[in-house]
Amino acid sequence: MQADDRSPDAGTRLDAFDFHGSALDDIWTDYRAMHAGCPVGHSSKYGGFTFLAKLEDIFSAEQQPDVFAVSPSMLLPAFGTDVPMIPIDIDPPMHAVYRKILLPLFTPRMLDVLTPGIRQTAIELAEAVAAQDVADASKEFARPVVTIVFSRLCGFPEKDWPKFDQWVDDIIYERAEDPERAYAAGNAVRAYFDDLLTERRDAPREQDLISVLLDARIGEEARHLTHDELISYCYLLFVAGLDTTSWAIRSGLWHLARTPEAQAELRAKPELIPAAAEEFLRMLAPVQGMARTCLRDTVVRGREIKAGERVVLVFGAGNRDPDAFDDPDTIRFDRTKNRHLAFGGGIHRCLGSNLGRRELVIALEEFLRVVPTFTAEDPGQSWHGVGPLSVRIHRERGG
Amino acid sequence: MKIVIDAGLCQGHARCASLVPDVFDLDDDGFAIVRPGREHVAEDDVDALLAIDNCPEQAIRLEPDA
Repeated sequence: MQADDRSPDAGTRLDAFDFHGSALDDIWTDYRAMHAGCPVGHSSKYGGFTFLAKLEDIFSAEQQPDVFAVSPSMLLPAFGTDVPMIPIDIDPPMHAVYRKILLPLFTPRMLDVLTPGIRQTAIELAEAVAAQDVADASKEFARPVVTIVFSRLCGFPEKDWPKFDQWVDDIIYERAEDPERAYAAGNAVRAYFDDLLTERRDAPREQDLISVLLDARIGEEARHLTHDELISYCYLLFVAGLDTTSWAIRSGLWHLARTPEAQAELRAKPELIPAAAEEFLRMLAPVQGMARTCLRDTVVRGREIKAGERVVLVFGAGNRDPDAFDDPDTIRFDRTKNRHLAFGGGIHRCLGSNLGRRELVIALEEFLRVVPTFTAEDPGQSWHGVGPLSVRIHRERGG
Repeated sequence: MKIVIDAGLCQGHARCASLVPDVFDLDDDGFAIVRPGREHVAEDDVDALLAIDNCPEQAIRLEPDA
């Protein structure tokens, strides 16, 4: 659609479209405005970017990495570093070389090995929640279940876990408002992995991803990853693996705490939890948009995008595209057609999507099984992020 | 009809193998394959259509039998 066709209200609202922080509170209104008349538009935020809102346009862009490149970074604004993160900030041909190292380790079959450990961790944390009258389901469940499972998989030592939440908060949640704080935390995380990798290089190998990265041989020359490449890969694992899944679990519980009938339905029919998880991912996705850089002049829906322009693929808008989803703004556990974009698509499809899904489903299963009916204790807490989620536990009388 | 997976489009989302494990499997790198002997289905086969409808990359299609 041409820019001229936009309604004045939509234009004004979307001219400064943002997809971080408090802008997320009511971002659905922006998405409806995009679908009503501005599926391709321009925002002045973060140095200016063109946004794509239609599911098909986003998939199409993701399937053309030669037109829509990730360099210098798919994060906008930056994730506490200007060093490209491997592999998400790397374009072909090196992208596939890096990605192939860990690809076989994140297949559903490989994850079957992790499932008992994920379930045990979820049960233990849920039991601690269930013992209270009012609990923070984010701090006491959604965040630690992921920190424990993912850190063990990667080989991040347990003694260091208490430092992780603050680093994640500073890098991911402060970057739009306070970039200096994000960069300071980014430098701390890079220094942390510099030390850890130096220590691990000559130590006996363990059953973890750091060992796989240390031993990996890449490219035709079958060389090892350099120390800088290892730091970059670990940095990516850290920021991508810890936060997103915690958000997904928290946002699912956020919905269930506010929607008694949905909670009752999943308690009665736990076999619906995988479908429910897909809906939480579609509607409340941890990643609402990722950036690209247009490499050559191109046209999307009649709107020109010039070479060099930054483009944001607004996954959250694509996930509510009325041309792709019936009843797009409603969480429906009976949805059978769900090509959502929570994990992106194309060659940069989230490497950990199978792990993230497994963690989310098991976390919801065990929370609902172990914790009695729960309700929102603080209605003002927002759907997004990994901040507090206060829930009141309703134990049956005499139980 | 025959179930065809476009290997150039499949990115290993694994939705097909998760939703219809009897028909779809994954290779060692996590890319989708059709289980041997399960390639041929009716054009309104519910399982095949479920996989097609949920493939993010639209990498699965039905082709007329040769």
